[in-house]
Amino acid sequence: MIKVLVVDDEENIRLLYREELEDEGYAVTVAANAKEALEAFRSTPFDMIVLDIKMPDMDGIELLRIIKEENKDIPVVLCSAYGRYKQDFRIWACDAYVVKSADLDELKLTLRQVLSA
Amino acid sequence: MIDDHLGLEILKEISRIASSTLDLDETLEQIIQIIKNKMRIDAIYLAEDPGNLLHLRASSGLPLEASGQVKLELGKGVTGWVAEHKCSLALPEAMQDPRFVLFPEIQEERFSSMLSVPILFDEACIGVINVHTLDRREFSAVETAIVETIANQVAGALRNALLFHNSQRLLKEQTILYDIGLAVQTTLKLEHGLWVILSGITMGEAGGFNRAMLFLLNEKNHSLDGEMGIGPDSEEDASRIWAEWGKKKVDLLNWIMVEADKDEFKHSRFNRFVRSLSFPLVGEGNILTETALQKQPFVVSDPHQHPLVTREFIETLGVEAFATVPLIAHETALGVILVDNRYNHRPITQEQLRLLTRFTTHASWVIENTRLFGKLLDTNQELLSTKEQLIEKEKLAALGVVSAELAHEIRNPLVSIGGFARRLEDKLRKVSAEHTGIEDLEKATEYSNIIHTEVNRLEQLLKNILLYSQAGALNLEEASINEIIDETISIFKSGLYGKNINVNYEKCDNLPALFIDRQKIRQVFINLFYNAMDSMPEGGELSIETRTQPESHPPDHVTVRIEDTGGGIPQEAFQNIFNPFFTTKSSGTGLGLSICRKIVESHGGTIHIVNNIGSGITIFIHLPLQKPADYYKN
Ligand SMILES: Nc1ncnc2c1ncn2[C@@H]1O[C@H](COP(=O)(O)OP(=O)(O)OP(=O)(O)O)[C@@H](O)[C@H]1O
Ligand SMILES: [Mg+2]
Ligand SMILES: [Mg+2]
Repeated sequence: MIKVLVVDDEENIRLLYREELEDEGYAVTVAANAKEALEAFRSTPFDMIVLDIKMPDMDGIELLRIIKEENKDIPVVLCSAYGRYKQDFRIWACDAYVVKSADLDELKLTLRQVLSA
Repeated sequence: MIDDHLGLEILKEISRIASSTLDLDETLEQIIQIIKNKMRIDAIYLAEDPGNLLHLRASSGLPLEASGQVKLELGKGVTGWVAEHKCSLALPEAMQDPRFVLFPEIQEERFSSMLSVPILFDEACIGVINVHTLDRREFSAVETAIVETIANQVAGALRNALLFHNSQRLLKEQTILYDIGLAVQTTLKLEHGLWVILSGITMGEAGGFNRAMLFLLNEKNHSLDGEMGIGPDSEEDASRIWAEWGKKKVDLLNWIMVEADKDEFKHSRFNRFVRSLSFPLVGEGNILTETALQKQPFVVSDPHQHPLVTREFIETLGVEAFATVPLIAHETALGVILVDNRYNHRPITQEQLRLLTRFTTHASWVIENTRLFGKLLDTNQELLSTKEQLIEKEKLAALGVVSAELAHEIRNPLVSIGGFARRLEDKLRKVSAEHTGIEDLEKATEYSNIIHTEVNRLEQLLKNILLYSQAGALNLEEASINEIIDETISIFKSGLYGKNINVNYEKCDNLPALFIDRQKIRQVFINLFYNAMDSMPEGGELSIETRTQPESHPPDHVTVRIEDTGGGIPQEAFQNIFNPFFTTKSSGTGLGLSICRKIVESHGGTIHIVNNIGSGITIFIHLPLQKPADYYKN
């Protein structure tokens, strides 16, 4: 089973993503902040990470930098409620960027594309 | 017939008149009355400005209708000879004299002898007094001397009357000019100011011309164009208007202001006629263009003899004698005024001309002032709109920052609400598939569907707000408009087909590549296609065309034309369609077109819409071929 780590500070979103992705056949681990995420990332090998951007303490972009420094091969998909981060050069390190939507089809499609790349 | 005694009596009475009455016509009338009572003097002729005609001004024993009608040329007939040579002539056999010319109006053939005496005034002959007798008579030297003395007295009386007349005239003129000046200053509309002046020129108590036509210099076309014509449309009209003016002894200034506001003059046939005239300044000149070019007035007493007046000109304008004066401000000609006395056929007098020049000075001021005022208004307008644009930009920048944060905060809960509503709907569908016929279950499925559709709409709104606030930030690359349109058409293919909409795409084959933001330009077409689809729910035609412009080489921009058959936009709505959040749709955000405009304009292009109410709208998008300035990139 493909192992995915979902990082988001909002509980409802974590729940939604976990259920939706599990329905898609992924094994999902969730983390509520950067600290939890790094602990999970360092203890378990994941096939892919889905990162929120705006979180208290450390934001998703900084977390992306740390993760990529430790393992540049692991695919990271940024998934944020911001539209404009698409223009921020620091997110070039990620493998894909998806704007959060109640319709998760785009996210699911992106995950499949990133994995097959 | 005249003895010393009678002569003295006559002289006494005349000198009394000369010192009491001041009006010219009245003086003459009284003089003739006295002479008529005391002796037989038959006619007094007076020379008029401009000088070479003698008019029969008063008479006794001559047919009444002769007065005012008879005009003698200087040097013509006995009277004319006397006027020219400034000396008296006594003729016992008047008809036998070689100088004699018969004027049938005066019925002179009844008379045998004639004494003709000049009225001299400052070395100039200003008139002639004639005495006729039915019987043949040798006039004695004494008689001649008495008539000459009478002539001197008449000259004195005339001098006084003339001085009075002139000072009266000057006073009146000053008042009129003052009133007109005031009227002109109180109107700001050019045409009203000009109307006031042209009215002044034609008003009986002021300029007194029958008609006045104003032509203004058109710098663009190098022509003199008819601007305004004041005057009666016809002879009947003329007498009606003058009769009315005669009755109107009201305050001139008031009258002018009231009349100017009525704007009636615009509809007169004569005004429309003058406005239809235009004379080129280049090529063969005519009297009007020469007036402007030479900055000189012309007085034309016989247009058929004048080298600058063609037959055609005479016929078109219907002029006999006329005068032209240039309008000059800061040493440049602004236009020309032409005046004439078409209806009463009076010759143009020096006095009229003098007034005319004063009026034209006023007219030049009016035109110059209104032009300056117009420039002031323009500049002011420019400043205002720049200010508005600045405010608009600031607002948008602020909106951009706020909306990005706001959108983020709203989007997160929306994702949960909508996401779970979907899941709920899925689950409910599964359950109701297993347990059919449970009404509440079906309702619940429907409700959760409503929740997620509404969330979709909110998400769309957020997306559009973000697009709108970021439309200016471009990611420029070389791209082909044709390709982008192809892509958009294929995105919409099934939707358009489902709605029975025919797409007709006329692609320009050798369209150069443009420096554009692909995504954003695609967004423009997406928004426009959505609008077109919405406008044609029952099907229709969507025509798209690309071409370069101008068609001659080298082109400087690409034009995309998108035309639908959706019936167009009601006039009230049309002026608002580019306003953010303006929509007539129940589920629209009203941002579609404002985003289009922002994106196109940030590319240095323009978008405009031709609205054919009843058939559809046509959208024109012009995109420049050269790279938009860096300015547009952020
Ligand atoms: N092709 C068209 N035919 C007729 N009316 C149109 C057309 N395009 C736009 N309009 C009118 O202009 C209004 C504004 O259009 P705009 O695209 O800005 O917003 P909208 O279409 O109402 O909302 P949204 O774009 O979010 O769906 C529309 O509501 C509609 O009334
Ligand atoms: Mg967050
Ligand atoms: Mg729209």
